[in-house]
Amino acid sequence: MSTARVHIDEVGLRAPLAWSLVLHSVVLVSLAVSTFISHQGDNWSGSPGGGGSMSVKLVGGVPGIPLPRPEEVTNSRVVDTTKGLFKSEPQPKPKAPPPDVKRIPEFTKQKQPKYISRPSRLLEDNTPPPENAVPYGQGGSPAVPYSQAQAPAQPQNQFTLSGATAGGFGFSGPGGGDFGGRFSWYVDAVRNRVSSNWLQSTIDPSVRFAPRAVVAFDILRDGSIANVQVEHSSGNASVDNSAVRAILSSTPLQRLPNEYSGAKVSVEFWFDFKR
Amino acid sequence: MKPEASSSSANNVLRRASRRVFTAAAGFALTFLLAVPGSLAAQDWFRTGTGLGVSKPRAAVADFASRNPSSQSFATLFGDVVRNDLDYSGVVDIASRSFYPTQVPSVPSELNAMAWSSAPVSAQFLAFGNLTATGDMVEIQAWFNDVQNPSAPPVVGKVYHGAAQDEAVRQFAHQFADEIIAKLSGGVPGIASTQITYVSTRSGNKEIWAMDYDGANQHQLTSLKSISLTPRWSPDASRIAFTCYPTAGAILSAQICMYSMVTGRLLTWPHHPGTNSSPAWSPDGAKLMFMSSMYGNPELFVSDPDGGHLQRLTHSVGASTSATFNPKTGQQVAFVSDRGGVPQLYTMDASGGDVQKVDLPDMGYVIDPAWSPNGQLLAFSWRRPNGNYDLYVMDVASHALVELTRDAARNERPSWAPDGRHLVFESTRTGSRQIWSMLADGTQARQLTTQGQSESPNWSPK
Repeated sequence: MSTARVHIDEVGLRAPLAWSLVLHSVVLVSLAVSTFISHQGDNWSGSPGGGGSMSVKLVGGVPGIPLPRPEEVTNSRVVDTTKGLFKSEPQPKPKAPPPDVKRIPEFTKQKQPKYISRPSRLLEDNTPPPENAVPYGQGGSPAVPYSQAQAPAQPQNQFTLSGATAGGFGFSGPGGGDFGGRFSWYVDAVRNRVSSNWLQSTIDPSVRFAPRAVVAFDILRDGSIANVQVEHSSGNASVDNSAVRAILSSTPLQRLPNEYSGAKVSVEFWFDFKR
Repeated sequence: MKPEASSSSANNVLRRASRRVFTAAAGFALTFLLAVPGSLAAQDWFRTGTGLGVSKPRAAVADFASRNPSSQSFATLFGDVVRNDLDYSGVVDIASRSFYPTQVPSVPSELNAMAWSSAPVSAQFLAFGNLTATGDMVEIQAWFNDVQNPSAPPVVGKVYHGAAQDEAVRQFAHQFADEIIAKLSGGVPGIASTQITYVSTRSGNKEIWAMDYDGANQHQLTSLKSISLTPRWSPDASRIAFTCYPTAGAILSAQICMYSMVTGRLLTWPHHPGTNSSPAWSPDGAKLMFMSSMYGNPELFVSDPDGGHLQRLTHSVGASTSATFNPKTGQQVAFVSDRGGVPQLYTMDASGGDVQKVDLPDMGYVIDPAWSPNGQLLAFSWRRPNGNYDLYVMDVASHALVELTRDAARNERPSWAPDGRHLVFESTRTGSRQIWSMLADGTQARQLTTQGQSESPNWSPK
C-alpha cells in the first residue's frame, strides 16, 4: 500500500494558513477590546458590587440608635417528623408475662401507715422569759450603741446599716441592700441604656468571641457615672474599651429613685461579646 | 456646729468622759462591721449585663377613672394619649387593651397587681389614675407601678392641676408619658412634648406650619403669601430659620428668614444677592450655616444667627448645599455637593477644612443629610440607579448602611427626634406628599399630616 505524503510546501498552503492565523487573532483581539470598551462606560448600573447588589443590612439592630437591641432568637432545631427514606422497623410486641407468675394480691383494706410524731426536745424551752423581755415581733429597732461613722450630731441616733433601709437593721444577702428588688425597673433601664450604647462595630473585626468582660461603676444620686473600672478583663483590649465606652457614653443615667435614700449605687455590668 | 467656748472644768471633764464612751462605742461598732462584712458595704449594688440584646418591658395603660361626669372625656383623652405615647416610644411594648381585667384601679390602694402581672395581660408595668374636674379646672392623679413587684414604690407618681381643656390635658398626658419613658430608658428624655415644623400648602401658599410630635395641634406659623421652605428649629427652640422668597420689587430671590416662636413674628435678617437657602444651626445656636450664590456659585456660608460675621466656607466648581452639623461635637458638617457630577454626600470641618467625600457602595443621587443627636449616624435620602428616593442610615465611623424604607414611593428629608430613636420625613406613599414619622430602625411608620401637600419636616430639639 502506498501512502500519499502531502507536504504543506508542496500544496502551497503555508501563506493562506498564516493569513488565516493572523486574521483570526485580529478578530479575537478586537472582540475582547470591544467588550472591554462597551462595559467601561456602563458604570451607572455596573457597580463594583455587580448588578447593583451591595451589602445593606435590612431592618435589625442599628448600633447608635438608642433603641433596645432586639433580642437574638436562636431557633431551636425541630426534630424532623417527615418520614425518611427507610421504613421504620415494626415495633417489637411487648412480651407477655410468663403464665406462671402470680399477681400480688391487693390489700382489701388500704391503710395509711401510722406516723408517730414525737415533740422535739430541742425546741421545748420551759424556762420562763425574763421580766424585761419584749414579745416576739413587737420590738423596735435594736438600740445599738452609737457609731461615730454615722450622724455624729445626734448621739441617740439609731444604728442604721446601709443607707437603703429606713431604720433598724437591714441585713441582706449578696446583692447589697435590696436595690435590685425594689427598683428592678431602674436596673432594666440601666441595662437597656448601656446596651444600646455599646458599639460593637468598634471591636476588632478579627475577634469573633470574647469571654465575659465585667466593668464596675457607681451611679451617683443625680444619675452621673463615676469610678468606672474594668473589674474582669475579657482578655481583648478592644472589647474592654468598647465596654467602658458604652458605660461612659451612658452618663448621665436616670436620677436614682427618690424613694432610695442612699448616696450612690454600685453596679457590676457584664458584657458578653459574640459575633 | 461649733461647740460653745466655755472654760468650765466640769464641762471639760464631761466632754472627756463622753469622748471615752464614744471611742468605746466606735470600737464596738468597728468590730461589728468587721464581723458582718457583706451588709456593711455601706451602699447598695446590683449586677446586670448585656449580650444577646434585650427585651422591651411590657406595659399596660388602664382606663383612667373619672371622678365626676364632667371629667369623663378628659379621662378617655388622657388615657389614649398616654397609651399612644408609650406605644410609639420604642422602649416599651403595650399590652392589648382587650386583655385588661374589668376591675380598673384609680388609686394605688385599689391596685390588684396579680390581675395585671399574670396572663393574659402579663404586664410588668401599669399606668393608672383618676381625673376630677371642678369648674374650669381639672386635677389628674397618675401612677406608673411595677406590678410584678407590688411592694415597691411607684415608678412614677404625679399630680397635675390645670385648665379643663383638651389641650391642657393632652400636654399633661405627654408630660406623664415623657416621665415614664425617661425612667424606663435610663435617662434619655422622651419626645412626647416636642414639636415638628414643616411646610404645607394647605392655606394656598407654601407656609411654615407646626404640630405636636403625634400630628395633633397643627397650626400655621407664617403667612407670607409667597414660598417658604426648609424650616429649621434653633437649638433652644425659640426661633425657626427658613428659606423665604420676599417679594422685593418684581424679582423673587430666595433669602434666609428668621421666625421667632416667642413673639410670633419675623426677625430682621440681612438680604444677600443671589439665592440664599437651606439654613442649618450649629448645636450651640451661635452659628447659622446656609447656601448662598452671592458670589455666583452656590457655596456654603456661615454667619451669626442675626446675619453678622459672614464667612465663606466652601470653594469648589460645583454647588454645595443642605448642610447639617454634628450635634454632638459641633465640629463637623455633612453637606451635599455636585462637584463630582451628581449630588453626593461630603463631610468637612465646621471651619471649612478637610473636605471628604462619603463613599457609598452604589451610584445615584444622595440628598438631605441629617446627623443624629448622638453624632454616630447620618440619615439621608438616596436615589440608587434602580430605585426611588429611599431613606438610609449610615454609621459615620464604620460606613455601615441600613436601609429604612423600600418600595414605598419617594421618601425624603429625614430629621431626627432629640431622643435619637425617631425620624420624621416626607413621603409620597399615599399619593400625595405628606409628613410621616417612624422609629429610626424603620419600624412603626405613622402618617402625621393628610391635608394639602406637606414637606420638609424638622423635629424640634426639645
